[in-house]
Amino acid sequence: MIASVRSEWLKLRTTAVPWVLGGIALVITALSILLIFVNGSTTGPGSGTGTTHAGTIPHSPQELRNLVGAGLGSYIFALLLGTLCVTSEFRHKTVTTSFLVTPRRPRFVGAKLLTSAILSAVLAVVLLVATVIGGGLALAAKGGSFSDMVHQIPSVAPGMILVFALFGILGVGVGSVLTNQIAAIIVCLGWFLILEQIIVALWHGTARWVPSGAASAASNLTRGRGADFGLFNAWQGALLMLLYGLVFAVVGSVILTRRDIT
Amino acid sequence: MTQVVGSAGLPSDMPSAIEVHGLSKRFGPVRAVDDLSFEVVSGRVTGFLGPNGSGKTTTLRILLGLVSTGGGTATFEGKRYADLQHPIRHVGAVLEATSFHPSRRAEDHLKTVAVGAGLPLSRVDETLELVGLADVARRRVGKFSLGMRQRLQLATALLGDPEILILDEPSNGLDPQGIQWLRTFIRHQASIGHAVLVSSHLLAEMEETVDDVVIVSHGKLVLQTTLAELASRAGTQTGMRIRSPELGRLMTLLQAIPVGYRQIAPDMLAIDGATPEWFGPFAAQNQIVLYELVNDRGSLEDVFLSLTHGFDAADPGAARGAAAYGADGPASFPGGPA
Repeated sequence: MIASVRSEWLKLRTTAVPWVLGGIALVITALSILLIFVNGSTTGPGSGTGTTHAGTIPHSPQELRNLVGAGLGSYIFALLLGTLCVTSEFRHKTVTTSFLVTPRRPRFVGAKLLTSAILSAVLAVVLLVATVIGGGLALAAKGGSFSDMVHQIPSVAPGMILVFALFGILGVGVGSVLTNQIAAIIVCLGWFLILEQIIVALWHGTARWVPSGAASAASNLTRGRGADFGLFNAWQGALLMLLYGLVFAVVGSVILTRRDIT
Repeated sequence: MTQVVGSAGLPSDMPSAIEVHGLSKRFGPVRAVDDLSFEVVSGRVTGFLGPNGSGKTTTLRILLGLVSTGGGTATFEGKRYADLQHPIRHVGAVLEATSFHPSRRAEDHLKTVAVGAGLPLSRVDETLELVGLADVARRRVGKFSLGMRQRLQLATALLGDPEILILDEPSNGLDPQGIQWLRTFIRHQASIGHAVLVSSHLLAEMEETVDDVVIVSHGKLVLQTTLAELASRAGTQTGMRIRSPELGRLMTLLQAIPVGYRQIAPDMLAIDGATPEWFGPFAAQNQIVLYELVNDRGSLEDVFLSLTHGFDAADPGAARGAAAYGADGPASFPGGPA
């Protein structure tokens, strides 16, 4: 399995996919940081205490957590990374060679699940590091407290890394069911950017059950605050996300096992 | 070892590297492969021959576990492909419709396979050298010509130094030098004891390469035999082509004797089984003017076409074979198709 994961990583890094997705995620994270400093951090439940310096500098623990977690919104790129690492094999017909190397197709899906989870976690780490450096510099320049920000890293990083890994798994699951690249991307973006929000707006009770609700809960891993938003607690959310990913992956493995590669 | 179908002198003491037994596969209403059985022995090159659409590619893909079987077995030394411990180290395959990621470099493509199969990375350079792609190892595959892609596929197949090679129409896209090189390469593989199964829709292309032939048509086995045996059939299938302004009179004369003939052009006639020694005096006796008299010794290709034509009458090439050596040939001229 280690050989398969190494091979999958080699496959990915020898194409533009991870670099382009990672690059866009970094740009979007940078924009999020910029927005925090321009508009002022969102007023979360803990932002009661004002600052004496300037209204737009993150100061409260919640504001600083939001700053550290500025990359969280880029989870969609972990999802796409997972999806593309399956669908690009079908798009470019490299799957024939892959199945000759790994004739057991559930194993092929398994290697991709593991690779995508690891790479997605790495993406989260990269975004966190970039945010702490970039956001920290901006904070220090504006007269905020860098060390206060660093104090919030342990309460954000584990949840964010976990959620990215879970989205990486879900992406592979979706890609192994929907091997058509265009269809898979449309479904992923359509679901998370449009459909899910409509569904939650229509039926509030679904908020905790939909993937991004489960992911939101999981991202609060070290704070245990999920219940405040009507979500599951962190572990329940993480398990639900994992379940979604694995159900897709199992269905995808069954479909792929029966599929004739002609 | 199972009984060889059409057992025409295959060496039976050799272990069979590939065994296909009662293999069937349907795609909707189409029987792509229909109760097909044959085997391939080590140290020999087996040509897998048949017209386009005769089920060759499907059979090879079932062998390699890419397409599910609808019945029967296809095994390597008794094991299904998926059950081989390290498949890449035993079986190398060059398949049609396999592709590469266009932005991946040639050597990176080979590395992904080598790493996935647990092979040393030194094999990447070795195989690139072997297929003559060492100079373009760092080039992106999207910029490769068809022939270069074919060579890269071959390099992929050879990475694990397998003792069994499966090549599906491997000369596609290769230039004449490439084809010559491929022939030499395939012969070398057999000479070091490896088994090679190579498919083609052209027997002529394979004549210098193969030891054994497996001929299929419409998914069914037509014949498995040695090339030598097939060649001896070709030698017994003779006929003549005659060009004459007096075809009408000639045909009237020929009707009186038991001989098969067919008009193949306004002034040309093909006569089954005839020899110049017989036809020359016959024409002289009857005072028939001849413009042309060609001794039409059967080629391997003609035997191949006549063997497959009955299954594939729609194929114009096969129809040509049927015309020259039709089944309505007279009993007095031996050597009609079996």
